[in-house]
Amino acid sequence: MATVEERVKAITARVLGLELDEIKSEHSFTQDLGAESVQSIELVAMFEEEFGIEMDEDAALAVETVGGAVEFITQVCRQQGVELEE
Amino acid sequence: MRLILVDRSDEIRRNFFPLALSRPLWQLRCGITTLEEKLAAKLVPRSLEGIGADDAAYFVPDYMADAYRARAKYPVNDMSALAGDDLMLVDPLVKAEDLRIRAEGKSEVGLDEQGRVFYARIVKNDLKKLVANSIEDFVASAKLRLPNVTCKLRTWEYLWDLVLANADQITSDFAAAGKCGIEGKVEKPGEILGSKTDIFVGSRARVHPMVVIDAENGPVYIDEGAEIQPFSRIEGPCYIGKESILLGAKCRSGNTFGPCCRIGGEVEESIIHGYSNKYHDGFIGHSYIGEWVNLGALTTNSDLKNDYSTVSITLEGQGAINTGSTKVGSFIGDHTKTSIGTLLNTGCYIGAMAIIMATGKPLPKFIPSFAWFVEGVVTKGFGRTGLYETAKVAMSRRGREWTAAEQAMWDAIFQMTAPARDEAIKRGRKAMFR
Repeated sequence: MATVEERVKAITARVLGLELDEIKSEHSFTQDLGAESVQSIELVAMFEEEFGIEMDEDAALAVETVGGAVEFITQVCRQQGVELEE
Repeated sequence: MRLILVDRSDEIRRNFFPLALSRPLWQLRCGITTLEEKLAAKLVPRSLEGIGADDAAYFVPDYMADAYRARAKYPVNDMSALAGDDLMLVDPLVKAEDLRIRAEGKSEVGLDEQGRVFYARIVKNDLKKLVANSIEDFVASAKLRLPNVTCKLRTWEYLWDLVLANADQITSDFAAAGKCGIEGKVEKPGEILGSKTDIFVGSRARVHPMVVIDAENGPVYIDEGAEIQPFSRIEGPCYIGKESILLGAKCRSGNTFGPCCRIGGEVEESIIHGYSNKYHDGFIGHSYIGEWVNLGALTTNSDLKNDYSTVSITLEGQGAINTGSTKVGSFIGDHTKTSIGTLLNTGCYIGAMAIIMATGKPLPKFIPSFAWFVEGVVTKGFGRTGLYETAKVAMSRRGREWTAAEQAMWDAIFQMTAPARDEAIKRGRKAMFR
């Protein structure tokens, strides 16, 4: 199983139409990767499906960077009892 | 005599969603007035405006009581209102024209063969016989302990009944209002067709030049402070609410617009509650639209199927219901916003507080409340907070306040409507992953 970071980056690449190696942890979804508001909604939906979790929309959409998303998703997975590859 | 209006049955209320999600049934509009105003006019000799010996009390679902209390003139969910006066309890869905009950007389409960209480006239001295723990117990004890009269009164069954009856109701409400003539300003050149006795232009209302008012097939009532801009055509029967503005609108017959609406494009046989905007071109027909709705430019609905068959509608929490009518448009709840170019299918239901981003195709026929319809699927979108922020801004622009009570009511509606929304989001996810 891939790590949380790898899975987050794979989904980000798919939704935003980017190559994997273009995505860095410190990148902002909107400023650096060019995510439009509609794509932010899609990203949240895809992360929920990928990890089998439910995220609070306000908290999820407040996350700005790829690294922030990894951290946030890891935390939600732990709270909701979802096993992860470290 | 105190008028008591009760709206506590979930089973009945659901037939009037999405409008009834955020208001009691008697606040629904049909014709020139609300259902409450029609019933009150039938029951009490004086208007409820001048209280005198006549007043009212309301019983609404608990989740909306605080929000409704802030805008209601009379007590809400207050059991003490069931004491100290003769009472006339009325089912708010009884058609007012069928209500021919004398305010004076002995206590009696009018009900149908299935036991649905249409009205209960209760004289003060009989109140001690009744149980006053809750409004439900009160009505049940009245049914049990007071003389019953079986009667057949017609009731409004579904939201679309109001749309289909709107033109006739405008005509009868116009006659009941007894007003005609021009108190405001009608500028030349313009044309008035039909009898001037079928037209009323209220004080401060302004009809600009190049407007046609056609009252040949029904009356036109333009209420106080309304403004009709050039190149508008208004066909009666029609009611244009206070401070509403028509912007070069093709206003076909049978329309009711609440106060402070902005209406452009083509509208036919539709009811639009206050503070809603359909500013631009696009067609809306046989539709019922709530408060604070914004329809983006070129939002258009179908109100007739290509095969002329009857139209079905899916209501929140219910399956598809055949309306039995071939002409049925859209039903849109309060605070919903559509993007430019939105195409609404025949018999389309869009819940309250929804955001619609058009895809170029007709929308699905059912979109639940608080849904963000994006890229052709229902999503969670930016959630409730963003919607509330938008509602606050929209209301403040018109001098209205978004209160804590209002937010609590919408939080409850969010929970109530979650099952349908969660289901739609699940389906949307599947489509997204295909």
